[in-house]
Amino acid sequence: MTALLPQFRLAHPRSVSDAIATSQENAGSRFIAGGTDLIVNARHGLGKSSLLIDLSGIRELAEIRASDHGIRIGSMVSIAALTRDAATSQNYRAVKEAAEAIAGPGHRLMGTVGGNLCLDTRCIYYNQSEWWRRANGFCLKHGGDTCHVAPQGRRCHAAFAGDLAPAFLALRAEVEIAGASGCRRIPVGDLYVEDGSAHLTLAPDELIVAVVLPPNPPPSSYAKVRVRGAIDFPLAGVAVALAAANGVIQSLNIGLTGTNSRPFLLAGTDAIAGRPVDEKVLQQLDRLVQKQVQPMRTTIASAHYRRLAAAALACRLVASLSAAKEA
Amino acid sequence: MTIKLDGKARRQGVPLIDGIDKVTGRARYTADLEHADALVGRILRSPVSHGEIVRLDVSKALALEGVRAVITGDDCPHTYGVLPIAMNEYPLARGRVRYRGEPVAAVAATDLETAEKALGLIELEVRALPAYYTSEDARADGAVLLHENKPGNIEREVHHGFGDVDRGFSEADLVREATITCAEVNHAQIEPHACLADFDPLTGRLTVQSVSQVGYYLHLMLARCLEIDASRIRVVKPFVGGGFGARVEVLNFEIITALLARVAPGKVRMHLTREENFLTHRARPQTDMRLKLGMRRDGRITACELHVVQRGGAYAGYGIVTLLYAGALLQGLYDIPAIKYDGYRVYANLPPCGAMRGHGGVNTRHAFECLLDRMARELLLDPFAVRRANLLHAPTRTLNDLMVNSYGLAECLDKVEAASNWHNRIGKLPRGKGLGMACSHYVSGAAKPIHWTGEPHAVVNVRLDFDGGVTALTGAADIGQGSSTMVAIAVAETLGVSLDRVRVIAGDSAVTPKDNGAYSSRITFMVGNAAIDAARRLRTILCEAAAQKLEVPPEDVDCIGEAFHVGGGGQSSIAFCDVAKAALVNRGPITVTGTFTCPPEAQGGKHRGGAVGSTMGFSYAAQVVEVTVDEATGLVTVDKVWAALDCGHAINPLAVEGQIEGSVWMGMGQALSEETTYADGLPLHASLLEYRVPTAAESPPIEVHIVESNDPNGPFGAKEASEGALAGFPPALVNAVANAIGIDLNALPVTPDRVVEALVERRRGLRLAAARRAAS
Amino acid sequence: MHIESERSAKRLVRLKVNGRWREDAVGQNELLVDYLREVARLTGVKTGCDGGECGACTVLIDGEAVPSCMVLAVRCEGRAVETVEGLLSQGRPSRLQQAFHEKLGAQCGFCTPGMIMAAEALLRRNPNPTDGEIRTALSGNLCRCTGYVKIVESVKTAAEMPS
Repeated sequence: MTALLPQFRLAHPRSVSDAIATSQENAGSRFIAGGTDLIVNARHGLGKSSLLIDLSGIRELAEIRASDHGIRIGSMVSIAALTRDAATSQNYRAVKEAAEAIAGPGHRLMGTVGGNLCLDTRCIYYNQSEWWRRANGFCLKHGGDTCHVAPQGRRCHAAFAGDLAPAFLALRAEVEIAGASGCRRIPVGDLYVEDGSAHLTLAPDELIVAVVLPPNPPPSSYAKVRVRGAIDFPLAGVAVALAAANGVIQSLNIGLTGTNSRPFLLAGTDAIAGRPVDEKVLQQLDRLVQKQVQPMRTTIASAHYRRLAAAALACRLVASLSAAKEA
Repeated sequence: MTIKLDGKARRQGVPLIDGIDKVTGRARYTADLEHADALVGRILRSPVSHGEIVRLDVSKALALEGVRAVITGDDCPHTYGVLPIAMNEYPLARGRVRYRGEPVAAVAATDLETAEKALGLIELEVRALPAYYTSEDARADGAVLLHENKPGNIEREVHHGFGDVDRGFSEADLVREATITCAEVNHAQIEPHACLADFDPLTGRLTVQSVSQVGYYLHLMLARCLEIDASRIRVVKPFVGGGFGARVEVLNFEIITALLARVAPGKVRMHLTREENFLTHRARPQTDMRLKLGMRRDGRITACELHVVQRGGAYAGYGIVTLLYAGALLQGLYDIPAIKYDGYRVYANLPPCGAMRGHGGVNTRHAFECLLDRMARELLLDPFAVRRANLLHAPTRTLNDLMVNSYGLAECLDKVEAASNWHNRIGKLPRGKGLGMACSHYVSGAAKPIHWTGEPHAVVNVRLDFDGGVTALTGAADIGQGSSTMVAIAVAETLGVSLDRVRVIAGDSAVTPKDNGAYSSRITFMVGNAAIDAARRLRTILCEAAAQKLEVPPEDVDCIGEAFHVGGGGQSSIAFCDVAKAALVNRGPITVTGTFTCPPEAQGGKHRGGAVGSTMGFSYAAQVVEVTVDEATGLVTVDKVWAALDCGHAINPLAVEGQIEGSVWMGMGQALSEETTYADGLPLHASLLEYRVPTAAESPPIEVHIVESNDPNGPFGAKEASEGALAGFPPALVNAVANAIGIDLNALPVTPDRVVEALVERRRGLRLAAARRAAS
Repeated sequence: MHIESERSAKRLVRLKVNGRWREDAVGQNELLVDYLREVARLTGVKTGCDGGECGACTVLIDGEAVPSCMVLAVRCEGRAVETVEGLLSQGRPSRLQQAFHEKLGAQCGFCTPGMIMAAEALLRRNPNPTDGEIRTALSGNLCRCTGYVKIVESVKTAAEMPS
């Protein structure tokens, strides 16, 4: 046998309401989508659960629907299906580029949009074997009371490393969430808080049903830094949506991932609106990113590098989007 | 399928004789062996870096239902190790643990869950001692000794001097130093370690199937550690999923599995996790180097001084040899009149290092080729010209008495220079694009075996029976490099029969003759020569039988294309099978023994440690690497590699190409993305996610050129092809990065963060310089 | 003492493996890779890492190449799973198997089954892939021997062979 997974049972609901009811009836249960994050973590003794609620049998969650109101992407749409969707690829380039940059081809086939949004945060002190973590006295995120990244601090600094969230953030997408008390719709950014051990605002019995991208998006793009050309999580990932007219910025939204415990929308880009994309604006942007990202030593690459790289990617994407617009 | 060694097969090579098994999935690797009736073995590993074992209570684990054996250091009072002079390690710690992950106890149980549960029931108490994770800390005054007999935590110092170094530096027009460091790397063979041990209490016999590159070493250590007569042990090598040096040394889990099998008693399987593979380690050490070179204006090297510190981990392992190689392999590539080498192998509380592809020479070569390039630049010399100014002229002996009988480096340089269009492109590429080059070499087998027994250095038996089948028996471990195919070709070529008439049985101590194993690229040269020798002996017998039938003298008979002919003419001939039948009359089935032994003059200098580096012949390689450097993100992309290697003669050109591509690419991994670092002794790269073996996405096309210098002693003129090209890649890459962005990097690997930090540092320097200029 | 494993909840799962339906009692926490290796005894499916990092266990599920170490076996109910063993037809190797053999796409052979399955999925949806498309499709499968050069060549060769 390859690995010892904890004992659990699987439930296979056929509808969202079934799934939520099952979740409510079973404390300590978890939803499982593609499983590329959950199963790997479970093999390392993380995220134990007695019941996994398999969402793959709920057909409505696996649909992409385009309409005048934008595009509605079901949470169980696979990353690979997302990259192949013509409407998304054409108008929401950042989403396509982010999806294509996720892990390896097998992960993209299994992994889902909802799963990628709900990825567990990552840290070199957390994503280790049980033996390793025990030898290290565990950590704030799992079984211990100290964050080894910042022992003086009071919170966990594990970093969010999903690629899709920044693209959705930059494109001002919203998520539809189903729970016991019905559906709610919130901006993607509200799904997260800056806490590595509890970065999702979802209640235990809530699940993401869909992501809704608004219509008529501005041109957008996504880029990430990683050591290898595949498999690796982003050390920093940046999505930019830039609307410009006659070389002047009308709106600029920048989503970031890999640097903080949550993906977030860069604040202060409004101040740049109305100006042309020039050296000065790019310098200002560089400072803005460097100021707002909070990389900690959660990866082997230095935090300083991730800060610089995030800023460099943001500037590069803004420059290239504005150049493409001109052309 | 019929494989005939016609002209085309000789030019292009042949597929591996076991290739079909691999592509169909029917090849059985150790973990695939039938194990339905086997117990599951698991190892308890030390959670602390350094300390004394105060209490180790296994009683609760033993009491757990389903547990059949629990063993500790008490079960094996014998040390083991690859070097007879430096065995300072127990399969399971005794009294003291010296690194996090060191085996402390082991269990065998009916299933994995029970085994894991039993590990959790073992009570271990360790009184912690100060632990050291850098060479510097371990060598500091007052540091606690990891091994009482090793003051300063130094396993071995080497101080070698050849020629007049002071005079060399005084005659130089340019003397420069560089301080260069290489991170620790790992073999990361894709097959995780595994072992299946079967002890039969009724007969007292032990059968072990394992991932070993050297079954013979495993056999010796099992006999030693289990105190079983070696004649009662059988070691079998199933298919092995790569080695790269990881499995030359006997590894603790192999002995542990056998110990468990004896205690249980019965059959025990042990499959290590990827994390445990990294903890088992035995790979290339983190190395700090200070190199000084003297050069004349024309590029001629006048002197070389190298200071090396290797962080070897907690036990001796192969350390002394790695350290000696690091000095010895300064030689044999170029003509250098004076060399001084000071090397230190340091103990630290980390998993033990060992041999890895290009053993000992890779990091030294990296420092050397980087500094050589920098000095060439300063003297406005072309990198190719500098190498050409320092070529050896075969036959010759190096300062440290290494034998060089064939030397194709000049041709390698010519090939990659032309193929990469170097002279039309160097210096003319846009910013961010660069070309770099470097040379390298490696031994074709260590000419002096570690275990001195007086036996030949290689033995191959060849059998011929009534069926007309030719069976070559060899202990040499095919670990994917294609050595069994090489043996088959050597036998078929020598006999003049088709390749599919030859069957190779390899790596079963009950059947095959002992072999010193798959390390130091020795198999082609040594086992190849032994195979040819055996086949010649068989051919002599067959020619005599054919001559009798043809009624001609035996020397007039030759076998070509599966038939014996007179004088090469076509008029009278007899088919191979008929001759085989004739040869068996009266004598019965035939077994011949072929041998090869490196002559004393090949076995290195008389100075202490002089045997390391000695070889029958060196392979030589040159390569050009083209890169694109993204200055914003620090990402270095390798666009293309041109590599040329002198392997003497390509017995199987297809396999030679594969080996060159693989070794160049493995050099790329070390150069760009691979490293193992630790947090207080806990590995931070103990997975294939964090230990970044390059993927197909960013791996470049590699254009290979084979150079054939025809070594006078090699089998058909052949030398090694599997390791020589590796060491050239890292310096060629660093030189290419310097060419692209004007920055000389002093640390491997060249990860994006290191590149960006270097760029930030340069900008800071430029700002400071500008400020100073403005102020003055 | 009571042993956890005795309590493991098993479930009857029906799936098609290499073209033949089979039904087995499978633990709900059992990975597909373990089911294929230990129950179906298809040891061409390899394990090289501690989860989702190397691609050695890649198999086809309904024609798509995924690492079987991240898949729960019970989630394969009613689905078609193909392993490298299933590519042989009437005792003849497939185009990819033939090409990997002839072009030395396999050295130690340990990543080979997974690599071939990833390539198989690629060629089924894209019969004439470019080098770049091949490299992308195989980027989740690590090889330590070949540097991928002869693997890419093997896939190209297979694509050019008459089927």
